[in-house]
Amino acid sequence: MTPEFHREIGMPRVAAIEYPYGRPVGQPNDKEGQRNVLVKALSVLQNAQLPGQVVHLPFTWPEAPQDTQWHPPEISPIVKLFLEEIKKAGAEARK
Amino acid sequence: MADRAKIVDGFRFMPPSLRAWISKDIPAEEYSGDIPWTPLKKPLSETTFSLVTSAGINLKTDPPFDIEREKREPAWGDPSMREIPSTTTETDIDVNHLHIDTGYIKEDINVMLPLRRFREFEDEGIIGRLAPTCYSFYGFQLDPKILLAETMPKIVSKMQAEHVEAVLLTPA
Repeated sequence: MTPEFHREIGMPRVAAIEYPYGRPVGQPNDKEGQRNVLVKALSVLQNAQLPGQVVHLPFTWPEAPQDTQWHPPEISPIVKLFLEEIKKAGAEARK
Repeated sequence: MADRAKIVDGFRFMPPSLRAWISKDIPAEEYSGDIPWTPLKKPLSETTFSLVTSAGINLKTDPPFDIEREKREPAWGDPSMREIPSTTTETDIDVNHLHIDTGYIKEDINVMLPLRRFREFEDEGIIGRLAPTCYSFYGFQLDPKILLAETMPKIVSKMQAEHVEAVLLTPA
């Protein structure tokens, strides 16, 4: 889901997918879509020869990020606790 | 669909401020330490799988993950795990996770823990077998000491008893 974390901890094999949090295999009740993702993920296991391989799966989520619901109904406790720092990090990144 | 050059942006769905805050802790350079490695020893069609997710799924007959304590102690995440039998369906489970919308998993467990898809793969001979037990833990772990020292060895021990040879991990 977030292959960037590979740079922090090093993972043996990663099948990276650009799907929203909470739905890494796909949409509910989309059997074919889920199967396609899983077959590709299995092929990463089958083909990886060396530790640390990150394979970027070619799937595209059908909704734009602003239209994609993945957030919890309430802001999470840790985000609430660090909200000011998070806003500051965002402001710095926009500079 | 066939965009071969796609590079996954793991933060695509995250608000930009949160992305910036989390990214500050991720190194810019590639990982250079040792990475554990166990080669796949058999074809997939002969391999026994288990599934593990960090989504906070529990059987309704088991206690839920403790999100109430996390609400009181925002840096704490429940370090325990729950066994999820491979025949489990949506009607058997509850999901407690304060960092995602859990509704999709309750609607179709396969979006997170693809039990039904792997049972189909077993029936079709794509994999050898799905082990009787799969697992959920709770992914928010700022300090994973207990998770690593106490919880994961329990999972490993049960996987060894069920002759698991490969695991699909699905992060929430």
